[in-house]
Amino acid sequence: MIVQTALLVGLVLFSVLAIVLRDLLKSAISLAVASLLLGIIFFRMNAPYAGVFEISVVAGLITVLFILTIALTGAGDEVRESRLVNWVFPLVFVAFIVIDALVMKGLLGKIPALASGGETGSFGDVLWKGRTFDLVGQIAVILAGVFSVLALFRKRDKHD
Amino acid sequence: MIILFVVLPLVVAGILPLLGKVSRRVVPDLLANATLLFLFVYAAVAGRPLIAGGPVLQQLSWLGEAVNIRLALDGFSLFMLLAVSLVGLAVCLFSVDYMERYGAKANYYALLLIMIAGMNGLILATDLFAVYLFLEVAAVASYALVAFGLGHDELEAAFKYLMLSVVASAFILASIAVVFGMTGSLDFAAVASALKELNAGAVVGVASAFFLVGFGLKAALIPFHAWLPDAHPSAPAPISAVLSGLLIKVSGVYAMTRIFLNVFGLTPALSMVLMSLGALSMVVAAFLALGQKDMKRMLAYSSISQVGYIVLGIGIGTPLGIAGGLFHLFNHALAKGLLFLTSGSVQQATGTRNLDEMGGLAKRMPVTAATNLVGALSIAGVPPLNGFWSKLIIIIALIQAGHPVFALIAVLASVLTLWYYLLMQRKAFFGKLNEKWAAVKEAPFWMTAATVLLALLCVGIGILFSSTVTTWIQPAADVLADGVHAVIGSWGF
Repeated sequence: MIVQTALLVGLVLFSVLAIVLRDLLKSAISLAVASLLLGIIFFRMNAPYAGVFEISVVAGLITVLFILTIALTGAGDEVRESRLVNWVFPLVFVAFIVIDALVMKGLLGKIPALASGGETGSFGDVLWKGRTFDLVGQIAVILAGVFSVLALFRKRDKHD
Repeated sequence: MIILFVVLPLVVAGILPLLGKVSRRVVPDLLANATLLFLFVYAAVAGRPLIAGGPVLQQLSWLGEAVNIRLALDGFSLFMLLAVSLVGLAVCLFSVDYMERYGAKANYYALLLIMIAGMNGLILATDLFAVYLFLEVAAVASYALVAFGLGHDELEAAFKYLMLSVVASAFILASIAVVFGMTGSLDFAAVASALKELNAGAVVGVASAFFLVGFGLKAALIPFHAWLPDAHPSAPAPISAVLSGLLIKVSGVYAMTRIFLNVFGLTPALSMVLMSLGALSMVVAAFLALGQKDMKRMLAYSSISQVGYIVLGIGIGTPLGIAGGLFHLFNHALAKGLLFLTSGSVQQATGTRNLDEMGGLAKRMPVTAATNLVGALSIAGVPPLNGFWSKLIIIIALIQAGHPVFALIAVLASVLTLWYYLLMQRKAFFGKLNEKWAAVKEAPFWMTAATVLLALLCVGIGILFSSTVTTWIQPAADVLADGVHAVIGSWGF
């Protein structure tokens, strides 16, 4: 329980850091740490596949992409934001925590416990047999991403 | 083979950029238009016999083994597929001439087809996560299409759109997680029957609120509309037509009504919330449209206002109200598609979207002016055009259901609509011809053909409204009016 609480607190803390830090590089690394903690939570909650994906893709691959982009864009990595944002985020965050603490416990009590068992079947079963239609959607998302990059980084023709 | 609605545009989108290396214009033009023509004919001709004996549920098999691709086609989804392929076809025809100046046509068609595939996938989906996934497919393609011109405004609008859309997705995903946590399932039928037995009103309320914010953002209902007046005008005209005519309706209104009416079941409280949001959007956006000088921005605000009518109609929850809302959805898709396309013709001819700089264009572009007038009068609800009948049905339904105040608001908003559209007509097309536009010519053939097609449909459906309602709208409205029973039992696998 203590480990779980520590992990959850760490997750929230690093997520907040990712938002409030001004330096983009530090912000990206905080996000990676948050995602690593989330991955560990997934493992501990009997969801190894989710954990593996969280750590390898989100903490690993995406962080590399972020850092690469920050390195490529170089100068001007200090984000300037209006003062309103500096005030609004902490306020909303505190309000959220308060509402969460007041409401969530009662709300969760109303949700019936699901039959346990975590992830049934092998990963292949889940992906290929359980969620096949999602694969079509994923192919479509990847196609959309590739063509978006091609479209947005094309040489401008006559239209300017 | 209803999976064709998703797979065909995807496959064509995949090969288009390759073929674009061989032929930069003719092959992409032909292939994209042929795909959409096929989908339209398939939906219009083969669709109704398919669902004559009740909803079609397909479980696909691959090499003899059943795979978990489940699709459902009923009156509501067929109606939406028809609207998507019809407006998609008109937009694709328009793009043949319009997109010449942007370059990278094959790439453009590929993204357009992926967006259509995404919308079709969402319409045919039978579970909540598939809804989310195909919502994202259509959205990712639309971000790039909004920014397709690569100018500063386009990129800024696309970024704003992306940011607010991500917030919408986060709310939708959070709600899906809550529903999965409660019911242990994502399947529409299983969720609907599990929710019926569960006594968890508060949690369902939280899930509904999240969905309302998420889909409200996607549908650009007021107060969730901030992105639309930037994103829709900045996109190339055919894309504005798809976004305003289809995307906000499929990923906002369709997904919301399918889940609220067929899965959660419409409660009186939810009905009141939907009607209030609809009425608010209708009025506020109409006032905002009045003050616009940018022609496409005025149309964008008008879209928010008209989505308000649709949500108001469906929100009543009575069979007549739902039928009115859906009929207005269809009419608005046609008319707003038409108006955005004609605004594209005007922009291409004059190089401006500013209404104050225009004037007297009807003398130089008679067909564009005439089709624009048809679209404007249709949305404003002038008889005998199609928009009149759908608004009339909504207002009658409101009075029948005992909401005279909402009915009065709907009538007054309609007067406002007529007002700003007449302003647009007067500033752009009538009056004295501005000297600057003495050399302006009518739009090229395919652009004119697409607008004439949509204008004829607006007039034709207005005249033949009763047969349109009985053939297409009523079966769709029946599915929604049936509530959760439409899904429970018949949609289970």
